[in-house]
Amino acid sequence: MRSRIRLLAVVAASAVAVLALVASAGAAAAAPAHVTARSAPPKIGLVTDIGGLNDRSFNHLAYLGLQQAQRKLGVPVRVLESKSNADYVPNMASLAQQGYSLVIAVGFLMHDSVRQVAKRFPNTKFMIIDDAWQKGDPKNLEGTVFREQEAGYLVGYLAGLLEKGAATISSVGGQKIPPVDRYIAGYMAGAKAANPDITVLNAYSQDFQAPDKCKNLALQQIGQGSKVVFQVAGGCGLGALDAAKQKHVWGIGVDADQSFLGPHILTSAVKRVDVDVYTTIKQLRNGIFKSGRTFTFKVANGGVDIGKISPKVPKAIVNKVMAIKAKIKKGQITIPATVP
Amino acid sequence: MTEEERVAAAETRAPEEPGEAKPGGYAPSVAERLALYQRAGGVITPVLTALLAFLMGGVVVLASGANPLSTYRAIFDGTGLNWLFPWVSGADRSLAAINLQQTLLLTTPLILCGLAVAFAFRCGMFNIGGQGQYVVGSIMSVWVASAFVGMNGPLHIFLAVVVAAIAGGVWAGIAGLLKATVGAHEVISTIMLNWIAYWIGSWVFALGGPLQSKANGGSVPVSHDIQANTHLPVFWGDPLLQGLHVGFFIALGALVVYWVTLNRTTLGFSVRAVGFNPEAARYGGIAVPRNYFVAMAISGVFAGVAGAVDILGWEFRINVNDIQASQIGFIAIAVALLGRNTAIGTFLAALLFGALLNGTSTRHLDPAVFRPDLASNLTLLIQGLVVLFVGADVLVLWLWNQRRRLRLGRARRAAEAAPTA
Repeated sequence: MRSRIRLLAVVAASAVAVLALVASAGAAAAAPAHVTARSAPPKIGLVTDIGGLNDRSFNHLAYLGLQQAQRKLGVPVRVLESKSNADYVPNMASLAQQGYSLVIAVGFLMHDSVRQVAKRFPNTKFMIIDDAWQKGDPKNLEGTVFREQEAGYLVGYLAGLLEKGAATISSVGGQKIPPVDRYIAGYMAGAKAANPDITVLNAYSQDFQAPDKCKNLALQQIGQGSKVVFQVAGGCGLGALDAAKQKHVWGIGVDADQSFLGPHILTSAVKRVDVDVYTTIKQLRNGIFKSGRTFTFKVANGGVDIGKISPKVPKAIVNKVMAIKAKIKKGQITIPATVP
Repeated sequence: MTEEERVAAAETRAPEEPGEAKPGGYAPSVAERLALYQRAGGVITPVLTALLAFLMGGVVVLASGANPLSTYRAIFDGTGLNWLFPWVSGADRSLAAINLQQTLLLTTPLILCGLAVAFAFRCGMFNIGGQGQYVVGSIMSVWVASAFVGMNGPLHIFLAVVVAAIAGGVWAGIAGLLKATVGAHEVISTIMLNWIAYWIGSWVFALGGPLQSKANGGSVPVSHDIQANTHLPVFWGDPLLQGLHVGFFIALGALVVYWVTLNRTTLGFSVRAVGFNPEAARYGGIAVPRNYFVAMAISGVFAGVAGAVDILGWEFRINVNDIQASQIGFIAIAVALLGRNTAIGTFLAALLFGALLNGTSTRHLDPAVFRPDLASNLTLLIQGLVVLFVGADVLVLWLWNQRRRLRLGRARRAAEAAPTA
């Protein structure tokens, strides 16, 4: 009982702190050195899924965003790694019990656990990455999703500019599910916008793990004349990029920037999970964080993007892609989210 | 001289061969020899083993620049075992209760899977397949508990547990049958069956798999949620915060069943007889192949129930990633080894490993006490050391047994050296 009261007090104090910060008109990142107990910055907790901090993917990127928030916004942070699914609930609950203002859950694996814990701690804010908030979910939870089609459009546009005339390019999807199809739909639309004569092949491997399946599909597509292969199949897709390398055509990475795989990588369609985490914390710090909704990350707020572009691409083409990116930012281009 | 020494060694060795059984001319298998050595160790060696592992872990903590005493204190408080101390009160006590619930939650499947390894061990077999049997139990129980909408709650739970038990039994029974009929080694076949279970689980719940949930647009590789009335009741703690469910009592009951079956039934007698010495058992009229099969199947039942208890107790659904990341069945091997394949030993060892798993979570290790990015490695490290020393105590015993032989040899060499000098 007493701990519940103390918890309320802490939450109330941080709420007051946030209000005070809003009142001081944007001077949010003031000096955290001389803060009093009442205006202490909100504590931010992050719980990884079983991938751990060194997964070179979502967890790692989320941690980078958290560290950035610690540096730039002066918020105290704590990261808890989950070793098994049994850790999700206790990890989030322990952060909430210790008076953390915001608890960030990385990834859809915590879909159910975060809702369970959020229900028990209505005064703590929760955020989950890559999982939408739906009617009936706790009001203190914010879902965040990515507009993958915008990143797909950008990489497709680049591919369309590179391959002129009646060329062929292709994509290998893991499975016909919404997040995969958003990338592919954007890719197709972008390529057609850059080059109306282009043919875009598409196939699904029905797998996200076995690289050989995606490699075989990519080899078939290259056999049909594909000059650029876009992988949207996680670990399986690495096989598609391997096929591109082997046959000396371009490969396009997905989710993380995969330019480290070699010079055959044209670019990557990236989800900036670090931007996602940093932006959310900044919103909380500035008092504009809103739970009970889904926040969409898109090109306009830096949440999805085109990754590093190969230095072999002519400057003029890169500039054209950047011009299109500016247009997407302004919302001047409508991009389909489903594959026709 | 060497001839004499060899004779002397053979003489001193025979009476020192530990265990009740004297193999004589018969060559026992690795598992049987290990069991013989372990029976000789008594209760002292497992305790020393664990202490030694913690001591070594402390040295590593020290080397990493942290204070081993405060780190171990944090780990101990994290296990919630301080709840047992009457002087812990107030907020500390309620926190300790929450932590102890998590420790016991992890202990529950470790007891059951530990028994799965131990039972086969008592029949002279090394069941590496606890993990596969656990996974098969999980898959079947999540399937049963999510289907049959509108069934009576307790009946539904009972059905899910029984189906999981049968599935685990069949899975292990395959290995037992192969050993009994064609002599296929159970270590190889259970390891192979682990992978088959792993990939079946990865397939049925994968995107587009036959048992995958179509919620969230079918974009998540997860099973359907089990029916709300098949959740095992939580008897200690908050049901929303993964409190301790009654499956813990199923595990305790299994310990009793294990003890009674082994020590008070004809079945248990013949299983143990085969475990001591299959040749002698056969000579005594015991059907050895039949016992191999039965012991393996019973082992699998324990592990299958473990899978069901986790699903119905707190998981409520299963992700492909969870199947692939699960290590319960492998930790259970260490549990059985450290627990010396007895009921009480398995309980204590499961509690130790459950406490370790929970206590070394990053949530219990303040960054001021121990670097958080190293904390999860600390878990693996201490676990690894315990397993290493569990294996090593066989070595310790062996050295102990060699001592007299060495001393004898040295005395003889000294005696021979004296006149020539």
